[in-house]
Amino acid sequence: MSESDREAMLENVALYALGVLPQEDVALVTAFIANDVQARREYADLRAAADSLAFVASEPVDSARSARLKERLMARVREDAAHADGVRPRIGSNPAVLWAVGLAAAASLAFGIVSVIQDVGLRSDLAATQRRVSTLQSQLATTERVGAQDRQTLTDLLASDARRFDVAGGSVVVRGGHVYFTFSKLPPLPRGRVYQAWTFPKGSTVPAPSVTFTPNANGVAVVALPADATKLGAVAVTVEPDGGSKTPTTKPTFVRPLT
Amino acid sequence: MDPGIRLMERVRTRDVDAFEQLYDGYHRLVFGIGLRMLRDPGMAEDLTQAVFLKVWTAPEAFRGGSFVAWLSRVARNRALDVLRARSSRGEAEIPPELPLEGALDDDVFSRLDAERVRDALAALPPEQRMPIELGFFGGITHEEIARRTDTPLGTVKTRIRGGLRKLRDRLGERVSR
Repeated sequence: MSESDREAMLENVALYALGVLPQEDVALVTAFIANDVQARREYADLRAAADSLAFVASEPVDSARSARLKERLMARVREDAAHADGVRPRIGSNPAVLWAVGLAAAASLAFGIVSVIQDVGLRSDLAATQRRVSTLQSQLATTERVGAQDRQTLTDLLASDARRFDVAGGSVVVRGGHVYFTFSKLPPLPRGRVYQAWTFPKGSTVPAPSVTFTPNANGVAVVALPADATKLGAVAVTVEPDGGSKTPTTKPTFVRPLT
Repeated sequence: MDPGIRLMERVRTRDVDAFEQLYDGYHRLVFGIGLRMLRDPGMAEDLTQAVFLKVWTAPEAFRGGSFVAWLSRVARNRALDVLRARSSRGEAEIPPELPLEGALDDDVFSRLDAERVRDALAALPPEQRMPIELGFFGGITHEEIARRTDTPLGTVKTRIRGGLRKLRDRLGERVSR
């Protein structure tokens, strides 16, 4: 990477720290941060500065609004605490989900009431509404789950206590039981070919097939391996036919012991 | 130690009093972020409620570091969700909640306050301060900042980086005095 490219990437690190980097650039910058010591230091520095901006936002809340808000919130929390008995969460934490649940409940109630109504058209409309609400609930749940996974990945990749192993085109990052590949310059693949990850259980020389992946146009790929890193002795990558293979069919681009 | 961290430890044990203290201590911050980003007191109020409900229902989401920084990220993310739902704007990505590992460590962060940060921010040249504020509170990408301010993209990037570095240096100086 040339010095000017590197400076441009460090500027992107600053954008990421401030939270103004477009989502489509995050993988590239995350891979850069994960693979570059200076970038990690710069990111930590600038993100701390960006975080401090929250202090500027602190606003007095007018007393009536504050009292109303607190009363409403504490009523829900006390009710939840009274019923909790170790089971939580009872309160949905996402307002969008709360809305969806509320809508679903309302639609469900309406659907029950309407069963005595003979208007087939209306019932059909309500059924469609219920289906939409159900779909929305499902989408929201998926979004929440994916968002949580993405955040976990980023947290692991940028953590200072993560173990990093250099490999061709990037690095292998291990944190706790999680293992990731972060590539910032993988060669493009011929049509019909994919990269495939392989894992070697501790003490074994037999690779187990893992996920397949393709880098983006810039050669960037961030891959979370569905494996428990604490049980792995090594990881590898090969180029395989689209869909992957059960055993490697080409020479590995790397084999990296996790020690 | 950031008092929020101690209170969060108690919230994890379902301590309602600790939660109430947490709310009393930090609701102005969350409401302020909501108001700055959403520009609507009613929506800022809803956001404040949603954020504190998350604190109550999922205290394990806070995994250490500065509580203020974490809480502000949660608030910004919620506000961004609202802004995204409002329009088809380019989506910026707020980094995940990490324990702070930079030179502005927890102790330094806990000694910051609104006045110190306002002073440090005000000391930045306007051409650096403006894109930083616009990005942080506007929830928009640097490309959108460049469009809105009619500034070349590269210039915006350079100014943001330079401004954040100065801000970090000034804050470090102020709390060490």
